[in-house]
Amino acid sequence: MARIAGVNVPSNKRLVIALSYIYGIGNKFSNDICSTTNIDKNKRVNQLTEDEIIKIRECIDKNYIVEGDLRRTVSSNIKRLTDLGCYRGLRHRNKLPVRGQRTHTNARTRKGKAIPIAGKKKAI
Amino acid sequence: MSRSVWKGPFVDMYLIKKAQAVKNSGRNDVIKTWSRRSTILPEFVGLTFGVHNGKKHIPVTVNENMVGHKFGEFSPTRTYKGHNADKKTS
Repeated sequence: MARIAGVNVPSNKRLVIALSYIYGIGNKFSNDICSTTNIDKNKRVNQLTEDEIIKIRECIDKNYIVEGDLRRTVSSNIKRLTDLGCYRGLRHRNKLPVRGQRTHTNARTRKGKAIPIAGKKKAI
Repeated sequence: MSRSVWKGPFVDMYLIKKAQAVKNSGRNDVIKTWSRRSTILPEFVGLTFGVHNGKKHIPVTVNENMVGHKFGEFSPTRTYKGHNADKKTS
């Protein structure tokens, strides 16, 4: 078990995969980190030496916004929009799609689970 | 896709002139405009614009955070107060 970037404890997986467990680091960034630190990305995390782990930690601290900081910046960006009262902010406030998608159907990710319309069954 | 930097922000020329005139006069008039497509420039901070929403002019007082957005974003064109069914259930 290795602690990288705070709370994260990736297990005995390949380094690329393990790094992508960190919020804010996906496939691309984990590949980038491996190549900049010159560590074999196929190495398992439990086979890494202390030096290598420290190297990775430093690389992430320097170049990437990760975990709590990233969550905070994202939510503060959304908060800025909602406070402004612009169209995108209104869409965030109403929990509807922000980027002009259709809402006649679909949009279930934002709207949540479909609620049946009350009193429609009696008509049949 | 964002707009090319070399083009600069898009603003209707007449809006800039109107804003200048109001600024020079010193009075705090509402600048009526139909130009929802214009970008809000740093010069516009503090001025009040009446942005047309297709029916009437919605007053928008520009503050620093609004710079870079378009005027149309601040005057919604649709009204939706929810369905009747929604109110009954909640």
